[in-house]
Amino acid sequence: MIRQVSIFVENRPGSLREITQVLADAKINIRAFAAVDTPEFGILRTIVDEPQAAKECLTSKGFVVRVQEVIGVELVDEEGNLDTMLRILSEENVNINYIYSFVIRQGRAPIMVFQPDNGEKAEAILRANNITMIEEKDL
Amino acid sequence: MIWADEETLPRHEMEALQLKKLKETVNYIYSNVGLYQSKMDAAGVNPKDIQSLDDLRKLPFTYKADFRDNYPTGLFAVEKKDIVRFHASSGTTGKPTMVGYTAKDLGNWLNNVARVACMGGATSKDVAQIAFGYGTFTGALGLHGGLEKLGASVIPMSSGNTNKQIMFMKDLGTTLLVATPSYALHLGEEIKSRGMDPEKDLNLRIGLFGGEGMTEAMREEMRKVWGEDFFCTQNYGMSELCGPGVAGECEALVGMHINEDWFIPEIIDPVTMEVLPPGEKGELVITCLNKEALPLVRYRTGDLTRLFYEPCSCGRTTVRMENITGRADDMLVIRGVNVFPTQIEEVLFDIPEIGPHYEILVERVNHLDVMTISVELVDDRLLDSYKLLSELGDRIKNGLKAQLGLATKIKLVAPQSLQRFEGKAKRVTDLRKDGI
Repeated sequence: MIRQVSIFVENRPGSLREITQVLADAKINIRAFAAVDTPEFGILRTIVDEPQAAKECLTSKGFVVRVQEVIGVELVDEEGNLDTMLRILSEENVNINYIYSFVIRQGRAPIMVFQPDNGEKAEAILRANNITMIEEKDL
Repeated sequence: MIWADEETLPRHEMEALQLKKLKETVNYIYSNVGLYQSKMDAAGVNPKDIQSLDDLRKLPFTYKADFRDNYPTGLFAVEKKDIVRFHASSGTTGKPTMVGYTAKDLGNWLNNVARVACMGGATSKDVAQIAFGYGTFTGALGLHGGLEKLGASVIPMSSGNTNKQIMFMKDLGTTLLVATPSYALHLGEEIKSRGMDPEKDLNLRIGLFGGEGMTEAMREEMRKVWGEDFFCTQNYGMSELCGPGVAGECEALVGMHINEDWFIPEIIDPVTMEVLPPGEKGELVITCLNKEALPLVRYRTGDLTRLFYEPCSCGRTTVRMENITGRADDMLVIRGVNVFPTQIEEVLFDIPEIGPHYEILVERVNHLDVMTISVELVDDRLLDSYKLLSELGDRIKNGLKAQLGLATKIKLVAPQSLQRFEGKAKRVTDLRKDGI
């Protein structure tokens, strides 16, 4: 499992930048960043190199921040790999609440990050199917 | 037409009648309502000290908070078996303001409403459509009964359901509409948007409006929507006093005639509480005369207005009150419903995921009031899923709906993003400038 930092964000100009600015000032490296369109407010999901430090500095600036564990899966960039993983999970009836990807990994395989409704079950299924999950030290 | 002889009494006769009733009323409350007796004892006033109308100011005030502190029926002067009707309106907090009527009170009330309807031009030939919400609010059943007493044909439509409103209006040939002025404007626009011309296709000729103030800009707009010949008046009342029927505009449109033989008005400075001379602006204080179930003396209405005693061209001699120009407290009127920020506060304080700060924005969209409440999210656990966040919004909305009886919009904002106040907070922004 890897730790994800979620931040409450209002839908207005500049609101995302306020967050990246705080992280940049604290020299925290953003690895993944996902926000979907929402009418008035939403949740920004990020993977950073120092989740606890990110939470502390954002909280001190008045943001609502949540650190929670999510699953990161290494998927070699080949046709059908994402489909295979999703098929395995769906066959076992694991629901995925949201999913997003790491884009830049300096030559290594891309990572999909997702939050299932049952994390332990999802992990066990993926392990049984030899799908590589990554830990924070591997990021 | 003038409904009652009392409306045209010479001033000295009116004052003699008021004094007689006032003495009876003060004797009645002193011996029948514990709160009045203890308040009068504390102020060192005895019923026999009331020998002139000026002596009224010796009596202590009654406040909306007295209703809350004596909820539900602690201010009643009769036993429950003598009550034939209960009504309730919003209180400053969770407990509603409970009122009651004996059979005699009910008759007097509806008679006063008939007077007001008559002032506004209603006759027994009118088909009256009541678009106030029925239920415990006094507005709908008050106008309903008053118009029946007048002999009009009453349609108890209740509020909302615009399609049905229009259908009944057309099929029954409605001539008189009872509504909040903003709903009357909204309804007119809806009729136009369906390709009908309210002036040609409908028979509506009179509006009896209440529940919220009507500005002159709204009255002007009303003529644009409903036609040049459409005549509308507003009337005044509140459930504590009886409901509608306290005062209403006549054809001269120079203020609302107060039914003075039942309600003695005073204008006070809300800060010093001194009685102000006629014509000066201040808080309206009303003493109800000869009410049996719920007598009320020197009730602080919170409404700011002025009084004019000159006889009116309509023939009535009763004092006129100017359109309400504001509130001495922070009460809001949203779609005709009284809302106190303290009621909203109470709901918000029970929701731990949000902070104690909030802001209220009131706007008028398509002639209808929209209230948006901004609250700060503080609980990070809700960030586990968007569903939890949106459920929080729904929970706040449902709590407010149960408390206020009104739909609201909720805006979740980041912590520390709402303004902080030192001293008295200014949490309400009301953008309904001229009411349109």
